[in-house]
Amino acid sequence: MTDFHPLVKQLLDGEVTLAQLPPELRAEGEEALRLLEAVNRDPVALTAAVEARVMGAVRRRAAAPSLWRRLTEPRELHLRWRPWTLAPALAAAAALVLLFGRPGSAPTALAPSPATATVRFVLFAPQAQQVALAGTFNQWDAAATPLVPSGTPGVWTATLTLPAGQHQYAFVVDGARWVPDPAAPTVDDGFGRRNSVLTL
Amino acid sequence: MTLRLLAGLLVIAATPLGAQGDVAARLAGRVSPEVAALVRQLAVDAAARGLPVDPLVQKAIEGGAKGVPADRVASAVRGVAGQLDAAAGALREGGMTPPDTEAIAAGAFALNAGLRGQDVADLARRSGDTYGVAATLRVAGTLAALGVPAAEIVALISETIRAGRRPADLLALPGRVQAEMARGATPAQAAAGLARAAAARGNPNPPHPSPDPPGQSRPKNPHHP
Repeated sequence: MTDFHPLVKQLLDGEVTLAQLPPELRAEGEEALRLLEAVNRDPVALTAAVEARVMGAVRRRAAAPSLWRRLTEPRELHLRWRPWTLAPALAAAAALVLLFGRPGSAPTALAPSPATATVRFVLFAPQAQQVALAGTFNQWDAAATPLVPSGTPGVWTATLTLPAGQHQYAFVVDGARWVPDPAAPTVDDGFGRRNSVLTL
Repeated sequence: MTLRLLAGLLVIAATPLGAQGDVAARLAGRVSPEVAALVRQLAVDAAARGLPVDPLVQKAIEGGAKGVPADRVASAVRGVAGQLDAAAGALREGGMTPPDTEAIAAGAFALNAGLRGQDVADLARRSGDTYGVAATLRVAGTLAALGVPAAEIVALISETIRAGRRPADLLALPGRVQAEMARGATPAQAAAGLARAAAARGNPNPPHPSPDPPGQSRPKNPHHP
């Protein structure tokens, strides 16, 4: 697969025009556009024999559905309700609740919230005996989130699910040394050091 | 009417006490009693002025966890209180009345990262409901933390919003700037290139391109306008 220059990829995405490319990239851009235009978008034509065989099979299947397929096949379901049927239904539901338990006693579904993101933190610290993560998400507790050694020597990792928003953090190496994440932006922590920043 | 008035007075009277109790519980065992007392007082003042309390508590806890002397923790917490005040003022100037606590906290973060009050006001004015002021300011602060100059931050975010990009695209801007930096661009060049790309996408008839290719313009020298 051809790996185009990032600016040429932006051209293909429509983010820049050919005229906006630097002169040395215009030839590559034109070539990329030519390749894009050359993609054959014509519908695929089947031979008459293949089409007849496929359509025959489809018709046979539609004409004689099996019992299992009739039971399991998804189909449109029409429900109709009338107001005067609501009262007995509510009474029945109340009776069921009284008989089998209080509403809300069932465990809450642990569906993932769209307002969270799972983040993997990585630090290369080959001399470290232990590494932890402390930040606004764990009350800066240096013992709360230890990193574990990964398969690669010297590489420590931790994976956390964090709420959307802005978080500040640092790695704590061997329980004493606060180290900002070299892969993340940093801000002044107000104490003469830097905190790493994560925005989700 | 009398009942409503009474209820209102009860809420006003109870809020600082509740905030004090909550702050005291969060700080217990984490900071010195002097720092805890200062943060409690600052928290009550902040709550009364509609400012968020959590950043104050977080800064105190952070100082305690890092083993910072009490006087420096107190100074840092006062600094955060000042930034929250400044952010609230900038947001009001940007038309957000009254500013919500989430936006104020995000504004204080942006100021700490290097933006000016005027930038915060500008961004608040431009972000609108689609993107959310807090999210916009968090992105702006993160870009500043990456080393992008304020003018380029405002331009990049403004062009992204003007081009009608999705909120997720706004959140992705720091990552895209980092990717360009990994390819050798300076933070300013990366942001300027992305801003031009957003402008070109938002405008079907882009103006004549600048002599510099996207992402490769030279940063302006602020000392020689």
